Amino acid sequence: MAFINYLIHLAILVCIYGMLTVSLNLAVGFTGLINLGHIAFFGIGAYTSALLALNGYPLWAAILGAALIAALAGIILAFPTTRLKGDYLALATLGFTFIVGSIARNWTSLTRGPLGLPGIPKYAASNQTLLWIAAGTLLAFSITIYCITKTRFGKTLQAVRDDELAAAMLGKNTFVHKVAAMGISAFFAGIAGSFFAHYISFIDPSIFGLGDLVLLLSMLIVGGLASVPGSFIGTAIILLIPEPLRFIGFPSALIGPMREMLFALILLLILIYRPKGIFGRVDLQ
Amino acid sequence: MSLAAQLAVNGVIAGAILALVASGFSLIYNVTKMMHFAHGAVIALAAYFAHTFTSMPIAFPFALVLTLVSTCVAGELINRLVYRPLRTRKASSAVLLIASLAAMIFLNAAIITFWGADIKTIRLPYANASIEFAGIIITSVQLTIIAVALVLLLVLWWLMKQTMIGKAMRALADNKDVAQTVGINPEQLTTITFLIGSVLAAVAGILIGIEENLHPAMGTSLIVKGFAGAVVGGMLSVPGAVLGALLLGLAQNLGIWWLPSGYKDAIAFALLFVFLLFRPQGLLGKKMRDA
Repeated sequence: MAFINYLIHLAILVCIYGMLTVSLNLAVGFTGLINLGHIAFFGIGAYTSALLALNGYPLWAAILGAALIAALAGIILAFPTTRLKGDYLALATLGFTFIVGSIARNWTSLTRGPLGLPGIPKYAASNQTLLWIAAGTLLAFSITIYCITKTRFGKTLQAVRDDELAAAMLGKNTFVHKVAAMGISAFFAGIAGSFFAHYISFIDPSIFGLGDLVLLLSMLIVGGLASVPGSFIGTAIILLIPEPLRFIGFPSALIGPMREMLFALILLLILIYRPKGIFGRVDLQ
Repeated sequence: MSLAAQLAVNGVIAGAILALVASGFSLIYNVTKMMHFAHGAVIALAAYFAHTFTSMPIAFPFALVLTLVSTCVAGELINRLVYRPLRTRKASSAVLLIASLAAMIFLNAAIITFWGADIKTIRLPYANASIEFAGIIITSVQLTIIAVALVLLLVLWWLMKQTMIGKAMRALADNKDVAQTVGINPEQLTTITFLIGSVLAAVAGILIGIEENLHPAMGTSLIVKGFAGAVVGGMLSVPGAVLGALLLGLAQNLGIWWLPSGYKDAIAFALLFVFLLFRPQGLLGKKMRDA
């Protein structure tokens, strides 16, 4: 029975991180925006949802609030940064992650700083129910993002990624498209953050850490850019591969760092030997 | 008044620490055009090497030499195993950036695995005397850090402007193809750059390790602030980056006149963000390629 619960726990985590990865793929894979601020949207969603729920708002309001505030953060970040390209965009969005993390650590009257927020209410009493909700949400996200990429809007995003100048010459407002892509991507990341906060029932500013950012990038790049099923497969691979470490008998204090070493190593190997990832269709520009 | 003076001195110390970090990082950026974030982890690694070697029953200077050598090996290994294959397949700078973040996480986790997550110190063979001057307190280690940072500023300026290696580095940074036709071997020069960068990392790791104690995440927080300083000063000018780091340390410490001290890092990132958006070439740097 304990083992079944452990499997359910892993499956829920795969669903939550799957939502996060597939939403990041909309910005990075389909629109070509190398956004290292995604983990900040996730954290903003987690904090918004937790704070709303802890202050007595109903769950639906907390989830909606998380999505909207994260989307707003995405749009605000997109305004100044989308005119940057490549590594400059990556650096500015990375700076955004640090700023948000710093605020979460220091705005103690709101976030309790490094103490974190404990006792966040669960979505559902049993983890089994929660797994169905999470899996359903992941499926809904994946279908939505897949459909977005098939619309005229989604095609334009991919045109912006492949040749922004040409897209602009054809009369497309590339700026609005990029801002919208970041906003939608952040909207979904906020919901994923809400799921995470309510599932773990405790969050602290370490959610904005570089380790989690690299974890997320590993999932995205291993699965492959611009592939919706790839994001799901990448998430499952990166989350599940280190799990056998628990059963080999390493001391528990070592499992965390060994897990980080393993996924950093997988990311490096993929970048060197198979930059398109498993299902990817485009290279990271 | 003495509070303001003490804050200013603290700012200079913090700035000198960041300058130690920024010097190696910006040197590597100038030659290879890649953001070597794992430089922070190499600095942390150097501090842990120093901790291990100074705990051994060997003479203190010999322990420092061992630290220097092992750090150089580590730095060059990252270049060989991670960056060179990526350069060979002409990966974009964003890919190299992500690879360097992955390398940094890998090294940080490796440090926890081998040395544990608890705080460690580097044992000094002599007492770290503090000096009081007109109400300002400063320790001999802090004075050393400031002196080393200033010397580094001069040495790096001399290296880049006056020596053959520096000229070759600037040629490579300017135009790789032309540099190759006049007989510069890019891979060899990159190795030399990583070795010099690793020496700088070792110096930074030893001094910072003595001043601030060791913890596994030290590399991350150092490189982020050192990088912010380098951007403020100008990434394409090594002395500019060192100067920017000094200024950033000063700004962070004077900033706590108005803001709670927890916001020190937020000040650094906010400055980084503003400079990336509005003046990506930094205070001293030349105009960068189209950003």
